[in-house]
Amino acid sequence: MSDLSHIRNFSIIAHIDHGKSTLADRFIQTCGGLEDREMDQQVLDSLDIERERGITIKAQSVTLYYTAKDGKRYQLNFIDTPGHVDFTYEVSRSLAACEGALLVVDAGQGVEAQSVATCYTAIEQGLEVIPVLNKMDLPQAEPEKVRQEIEEIIGIDASAAVAASAKTGMGIIDILEELVRLVPPPTGDVDAPLQALIIDSWFDNYLGVVSLVRVKQGTLRKGDKIIAKSIGKAHLVDGVGVFTPKRKETDVLRAGEVGWIVAGIKEIKGAPVGDTLTHAATAAVPALAGFKKIQPQVYAGLFPVSSDDFEDFREALEKLTLNDASLYYEPESSDALGFGFRCGFLGMLHMEIIQERLEREYDLNLITTAPTVVYEVLLTNGETVRVDSPSALPAVTSIDEMREPIVLASILVPNEYVGNIINLCISRRGVQRDMQFIGRQVSLRYELPMNEVVLDFFDKLKSASRGYASLDYHFIRFQEARLVRLDVLINGDRVDALALIVHRDQAHHKGRILVEKMKELIPRQMYDVAIQAAIGGQIIARQTVKALRKNVTAKCYGGDVTRKKKLLEKQKAGKKRMKQVGNIEVPQEAFLAVLKVDS
Amino acid sequence: MRLQLPPLSLYVHIPWCVRKCPYCDFNSHQRQGALPEQAYIDALLRDLEQSLVFVQGRQLQSIFIGGGTPSLLSAASFDRLLSSIAGRMALAQDIEITLEANPGTAEREKFADYHRAGINRLSIGVQSFDDLQLQQLGRIHGSEDARRAVEMARSAGFDNLNLDLMYGLQAQNSAAALRDLQQAIALQPEHLSWYQLTIEPNTEFYKQPPSLPQEEALIDIQEHGLALLQEQGYVRYEISAFAREARQARHNLNYWRFGDYLGIGAGAHGKITQVEQGCILRTRTARQPEHYLQRAGNGFAECTAIAQSDLAIEYLLNVLRLREGFTVSSFEASTGLGFEHIEKQVLSLTARELLAFDGDRIRPTARGEQFLNSVLEAFL
Repeated sequence: MSDLSHIRNFSIIAHIDHGKSTLADRFIQTCGGLEDREMDQQVLDSLDIERERGITIKAQSVTLYYTAKDGKRYQLNFIDTPGHVDFTYEVSRSLAACEGALLVVDAGQGVEAQSVATCYTAIEQGLEVIPVLNKMDLPQAEPEKVRQEIEEIIGIDASAAVAASAKTGMGIIDILEELVRLVPPPTGDVDAPLQALIIDSWFDNYLGVVSLVRVKQGTLRKGDKIIAKSIGKAHLVDGVGVFTPKRKETDVLRAGEVGWIVAGIKEIKGAPVGDTLTHAATAAVPALAGFKKIQPQVYAGLFPVSSDDFEDFREALEKLTLNDASLYYEPESSDALGFGFRCGFLGMLHMEIIQERLEREYDLNLITTAPTVVYEVLLTNGETVRVDSPSALPAVTSIDEMREPIVLASILVPNEYVGNIINLCISRRGVQRDMQFIGRQVSLRYELPMNEVVLDFFDKLKSASRGYASLDYHFIRFQEARLVRLDVLINGDRVDALALIVHRDQAHHKGRILVEKMKELIPRQMYDVAIQAAIGGQIIARQTVKALRKNVTAKCYGGDVTRKKKLLEKQKAGKKRMKQVGNIEVPQEAFLAVLKVDS
Repeated sequence: MRLQLPPLSLYVHIPWCVRKCPYCDFNSHQRQGALPEQAYIDALLRDLEQSLVFVQGRQLQSIFIGGGTPSLLSAASFDRLLSSIAGRMALAQDIEITLEANPGTAEREKFADYHRAGINRLSIGVQSFDDLQLQQLGRIHGSEDARRAVEMARSAGFDNLNLDLMYGLQAQNSAAALRDLQQAIALQPEHLSWYQLTIEPNTEFYKQPPSLPQEEALIDIQEHGLALLQEQGYVRYEISAFAREARQARHNLNYWRFGDYLGIGAGAHGKITQVEQGCILRTRTARQPEHYLQRAGNGFAECTAIAQSDLAIEYLLNVLRLREGFTVSSFEASTGLGFEHIEKQVLSLTARELLAFDGDRIRPTARGEQFLNSVLEAFL
């Protein structure tokens, strides 16, 4: 039996721009995890895209050593969590590895809906939640009001919330002291049979699968023979250690600790997230409670611009799912776009990130079709089918009833913008369930069709509230709705990849706006391009992109050739993300024109 | 396929102007004080010396002295240059020797001396006959200067003249553009280069774009202009080049037929076929006149073989500008590639009525001419 009293495992719950990463960097700096010169801005966001977008997508961990005022040296394991609504599922995994969490709230902006949801998850999982008021250096900080909000909305005592500024360094030591004082040390027995929870697994080109684990019981050493409970195949542990945030070998992880393990596993399926690792010799120990499998919420078709790239695309998706188990895909073929994949995403941001990674890391040119949610269709033969692609919608005559997914959305918004937000919800076919005034903020609960939420609702919400409103939502049920398929025809031919499922009442309006937007987005070419919207056989809107009259270089003499060739190449490169549909080149933006249609 | 040695021309670049025009993206530099005329001719001759290995026994079919403003230089200088060239290389009996002249630098005596020096064709940069337009184009001459230059050229003995003329100028309507064209035709040049003003990067106009006519107006100008030129006996043989019978610019025609050319002078480009090595070289000299003066004759600033993958497009970029197009055998002889390299695209563009292919000769259709960039893109 070893002493675990010096270990503290914690997460940070914070809204996307409330300063979590900066705070984490401060901790690392204060505890000497990295030299100053290594403090590349926001060290924890290790995917390029994460750093560029300033968001966290994957769980990460850092082990820090802190000598507290009581003179003892503590091991602080910080498990980072993603902050965007698309990635809330990752949060519960991170929280499962912790005994405590810091709730970081921007003292100028107050509590946001997503932090509330995450905080509830943390409290349900029995974590000690410590409130921190960040950005106290800013003149607009209103600590008293924010304390009141935390108490009224989340229901935890915020009277002793630490006042801090990650930017100036104010309160950093106080937070670390509070962590040591309030977060309970982990329990567990280093001599018990091994039980280690896989929090995350990712694929590393050099190491194979690397897993982030929380050891609950027992001790895990380099050279051990282990199995993942649900797989049962034995692997030799090549290395274990912690992130400081650099990957550091320690050769041993004991009960209560969080760290990485590499065990010659070649496929991510060999180390499933939520599974339990134990020694081959103790294969009979019970598995720990895992995580619930996440269902994608948004589906879109992804097609290579050049059909030659299909196999490369398949391989890229296979590799990507090594690191992102939430990505779902299956082959899809389109009359207009050829062979591609129907992909399921957690939300729009997830979709954008996947497309960006495929293009950047795998050098693919892809066309993404308009995202859609999953509908439930009751057929006349009594069968119920799920439809994740408008072109896969059964014939109207065989449909008895169509049902759309409904979400319950929790929105927190400052008083002055509540009118805008209510109008937005009404325009999105929302039904109000609850409204409460709490301090400066209003808490709204609406039932909304998921279709109206996943595409651009978050952006609209932000712009209707000057960035202050926040949102959290989850699926509650399928509900009957009057839905129709809106077809788009280009030069008279129906383009399956452009079809949408929309509410009957909005169909005409959407069809009209959609073709207008597409007219702006499809560049003029050698031929007139007629764009029509249709419901069933009925054309409801039409626009024409007039043909170019000419495209020829006025002069070209001997010395010019190389330069003219470069111009041609540039012209061609400009069409990189265009797909030939018949004679017409349709750019990526036109496939996503629906995102620019306000309902 | 084996490359064949094509005809050879010589381009001579004179890099100075009185003033840089806001639309011009050529390698031209505003004259500062007196020109180092003698030193420059010396440099050109040193430059020529190093290019002689590329002649490979051919006669020169044409010489083009362009710029910049070559007419800033004296006839004596060109006399020395041309005599030296004739001393080092064989010239075709009927060689075409063109000099670019700016109407603002025209002098009766100088033109006569140019003619005596062996120059037998003048290309006069008229651009417009509208004084306001000329001013907006940054030209140093007026419309009367242009007429006088043509008259002087004729009296100096030039029986082969080209006029450069632009359309689609600032706020220019169809009537004004056609008036310009009519006035050019009235001067009865043997050749007309009539082209649409294009805003090129690295020009004054690119930084501060003038307001140019809308597409509809440009199409109207083009349609009426083409009809007028045809009616007046000027045959369009290239996108922007029009000539009386047998008066095509032989020098430019050689470019467009993917012939070879030596390039001497600051920033001059050359293209040389090397049959034995099975490659085509592109050469370029130093662009800055002062660098050129120092380095001429000591190698090229650039000398690279055209990549195999670029041969077809570079060939097509030229030959498809011509009404005559090209033949399967000329493609193979000029690029060393088999026709199958481009056959698929040729057939598909033929099916789309952008090219016409009779089994031997490939020409752009009228529509193909109008969308030549889209046609060429298909070969990239």
